Amino acid sequence: MDAAVTSVPAPAPRPGPDSPPDRGTAGAGPVPGGRPPRPPGRAGRSRRARRENLAGYLFMSPWIAGFLLLTAGPMAASLYFAFTDYNLFDAPRWIGLDNFTEMFGDPRWRTSVEVTGWYVVIGTPLKLAAALGVALLLDQSRRGQGFYRAAFYAPSLIGASVSVAIVWRAIFSDGAAVDRTQQLFGLEAGGWIGDPDRIIYSLVALTVWQFGAPMVIFLAGLKQVPRELYEAAQVDGAGPWRRFWSITLPMISPVLFFNVLLETIHSFQIFGSAYIIGSQGNACGPADGTLVYTCYLYIQGFENSRMGLASAMAWMLLLAVALVTAVLFWSQRRWVHYEEAGR
Amino acid sequence: MRTQGTVGRRSLLKVAGGSAAALGLTAAGCGTGAGSGDGTVTLRYTWWGSDDRAQRINRSIALFEKKYPKIRIRTDFQPYADFWKKFNTQASGGNTPDVFQNAIGFLRKYDAKNVLLDLREQVEQGNLRLDGFRAGLEKFGEVDGKLLGVPVGSNSMALVVDRTVFTRAGVAPKPGWTWDEYHDALARIKERQGRAGDAGPYGIMYLYDLYLRQHGKAFFTTSGLGFTEADLTDWWTRGFERVRSGVYADPKRTIQAKPRSAVTAGLAACEFTWDNFTIRYASEGRSEYGLAPIPTTDGRRTGQYLGSLMLSGSRRTKHPREVARFIDFMVHDPEVGRIMGYDRGVPATTAQFEAYAPGDPVGKQIAAYEQQLVASRVLEPITPHPAGADVCEAAFLRLSEEMSLGERPVPDAVKRYFTEAKTALSV
Repeated sequence: MDAAVTSVPAPAPRPGPDSPPDRGTAGAGPVPGGRPPRPPGRAGRSRRARRENLAGYLFMSPWIAGFLLLTAGPMAASLYFAFTDYNLFDAPRWIGLDNFTEMFGDPRWRTSVEVTGWYVVIGTPLKLAAALGVALLLDQSRRGQGFYRAAFYAPSLIGASVSVAIVWRAIFSDGAAVDRTQQLFGLEAGGWIGDPDRIIYSLVALTVWQFGAPMVIFLAGLKQVPRELYEAAQVDGAGPWRRFWSITLPMISPVLFFNVLLETIHSFQIFGSAYIIGSQGNACGPADGTLVYTCYLYIQGFENSRMGLASAMAWMLLLAVALVTAVLFWSQRRWVHYEEAGR
Repeated sequence: MRTQGTVGRRSLLKVAGGSAAALGLTAAGCGTGAGSGDGTVTLRYTWWGSDDRAQRINRSIALFEKKYPKIRIRTDFQPYADFWKKFNTQASGGNTPDVFQNAIGFLRKYDAKNVLLDLREQVEQGNLRLDGFRAGLEKFGEVDGKLLGVPVGSNSMALVVDRTVFTRAGVAPKPGWTWDEYHDALARIKERQGRAGDAGPYGIMYLYDLYLRQHGKAFFTTSGLGFTEADLTDWWTRGFERVRSGVYADPKRTIQAKPRSAVTAGLAACEFTWDNFTIRYASEGRSEYGLAPIPTTDGRRTGQYLGSLMLSGSRRTKHPREVARFIDFMVHDPEVGRIMGYDRGVPATTAQFEAYAPGDPVGKQIAAYEQQLVASRVLEPITPHPAGADVCEAAFLRLSEEMSLGERPVPDAVKRYFTEAKTALSV
């Protein structure tokens, strides 16, 4: 048995920095009820216990301070700004729901929603399919399995970096590797980066390429499936396809659910690759081809100095992601199969 | 944090100290440049530009610090677009750099937000000299009687051409040539050299400004747009036709060539840009590059003005006198002029202009080009752009790109532009 395998899938290491505004949308736990540490009172009955508590809080204090200063505080501020006209310089002015009205009426905002939606809907399933496919291949015991796992995982580690995005832009440009390969097959050439309708697929390709993280989780899930089920099925004459549909898929459905959830949330937050691949001096792609939601948020906030509107956009994204997460959780009753406890 | 107790006090203190230190670091990161005990003043100076500019500026600063040992300069720089994002964030946190590079499009914007220092007082106190500027440039940074920026070097729009292609096609632009002659030349280049004539002038706000000025209008008035939807429809419709016919380069390809220029990438024979940018073409491309005059409507008026990068001070600086001295040194010192060359345009003061004689062909051309502009008296005054002009420029570029790619019909793009510009100018 693989010692690393646990019955509950552990959160996978996330490659690279997420976009800050909505970190911890669904993944992070609830706000701890604890207050900031206080010096111990003198009258306490169990001084020792108190002191231990204090020590605990003190050890946590860097985290607590970080959470309060860098996450909770900014989030509260951003919630307030969402209802104000705030240009970064003058004091925020309360305008109620005007930011939201403006947002919904803005055609460019709708473009950003479409681009992001498209990216999530295309990118996430492809990435998970790739991850599951490769995980199935790597689940067999063969020589050099460790090497392959590491090799397939590697892109997840470097994929979110700026340099990879720059290389990606180069690969998909006019007359570069992808373009020439296309020409070999007689496909219409011209590069993907200059084409507003095609550039989004270079982003999809980049995320699919980083299938390593969900793959590792799938692998852990596959190791959990009891071999005797396959043996029994084989005795009953089930072919590989049937075994996959009737045994593997139901048995790893909790892991699949976990991956779908994580990757969907992650996809909504795409920023770095879109910003770098899409923009060279001009914001987010030819004709807004890579204007994903967070890019537009960034442009409104930092380029157009409309921090109030940008905050409203951030909260709208949070709501949307929360809604999608809720729907996924609701749907799991229908397709996620949990083993009885105490297996 | 105070902790009492006997057991484990030391470890507790360490943890507490660690957190306190971490908090302290955060706090220190927010502090503005300040003086230290011995009277030394530290100023923060930021600008946008390339590594090459940074090296030149750092050498100039070394000279300054030698002359003024009590003033230290801390520097930071970014590419143009990133510069303003960082600047906005810093300024909103009350952490504006003491001295920073500035341009005409930002004077009113940041003046309205109380970011810019009025340097007039420092001029009166004799810490900053306004004499010795060329071609009336000292007026350039004035807004409503306030002196908000001091020019470092003049530049002007020009047509950068690939001379080899132009010569082979038998095209020789002359001062005063008209738009028709220019487009005939492009068509001839397309026909004889198989290369698009121009990279696409339809999206360059500063060029459209010149075109409008030739017709007695301008891109901006002091508070809004100085042209109508019909004007822009006309400009973009013709632009789009020429993209279609191949006289202007295919935008799909010029986009992908970035950050290289379409001219050095061999996609077009010429493009409009600022004359001091020409320096970069020689190092970026393999051909020979030169400057050609702006086409005219009436055979004379180009609509041109001298633009300039400027140095501005922060209104929140604690050391306005030192800021003024530093700016004074950077614009007047001949040695700085020699170091900077034409990197930020032709030096604004006569002292620096005379100190530097360009040795390279490109530098010589820039000097000749601007001297010809001054001599031919085509130059006009410029009004500082209204607040929001930078957002208008970005939208102009973006929507013209969408239009040129055929993603958005011209009338639609025009309508969108006016909507977005209205929002940007009213914020």
